Amino acid sequence: MIAANGLYWMADVPAGALSVAEDGRKATLKLTGVAVIDQPRWPAPDAEARRARLDVTVVWTATDEPVTIDDPAKQFRFKGWKATAQAEARVEVPSLGFTWRSDPLATSRARFGVIGEEANGRYYAA
Amino acid sequence: MRDRSREAAGFSRRRLLTTGLGALGVVGAGRLALAAPAAESRGGDVLAAPVGGSAEPSAIPWLDKNGSHNQSPGPGMDPSNIFHFKGRIARANDFEGTGKDGQGNPLAWGAPSTDFSFIEATYWPTSRIERRGIFSHL
Repeated sequence: MIAANGLYWMADVPAGALSVAEDGRKATLKLTGVAVIDQPRWPAPDAEARRARLDVTVVWTATDEPVTIDDPAKQFRFKGWKATAQAEARVEVPSLGFTWRSDPLATSRARFGVIGEEANGRYYAA
Repeated sequence: MRDRSREAAGFSRRRLLTTGLGALGVVGAGRLALAAPAAESRGGDVLAAPVGGSAEPSAIPWLDKNGSHNQSPGPGMDPSNIFHFKGRIARANDFEGTGKDGQGNPLAWGAPSTDFSFIEATYWPTSRIERRGIFSHL
């Protein structure tokens, strides 16, 4: 859901739900019971929504291809690597009696991924 | 007889899955729902600090095609949904995979808008008091 300040579909990550390798090249995010909404007519502004819950695990693994972006106009700097990413998830929409579960992580893939470090806005010039 | 409730559910399922969990929005909770207190309840003319602003991260200024403070990940794009931050980040999109509904029916998932990230960061909220947090774009 979009927050009142415009923050777009962001969730807090509780302690222990994210693990990042010491060298920053691999990360695992594991969230359970995240309160979300199912909004079939999104992005219509008048789209109704149903409460839903999401369990999701995402794993990013850096490739050997570095990525460096420095954009003074947009005030952001990213340094890291292209990454492979895989995910598994479970979704429940109680009011519909609907559940869905993905197949295991290894059966998925993402066509784009990056992992690294970034500074933007106030921290761009620092 | 046709079961309209099941049809309706099926529509939602298709949106949920073929538009890739992209039709799922996060419900604000915890730190993201926290506004900086203005101590209004104390009465009197003095407001305890911090006054005004919010402890929430700021959204990126850039707008997507729907007018939301968001942009699709891709080469050369800012991977973040938070502005005024420094720290670790990963983002990925355009997932594809397979799965099953509660009745065991195969339902594939994923689309270009299926998009996950994490941001482990120091950030500068509008309250102007630097904070740390871990967030995920789902």
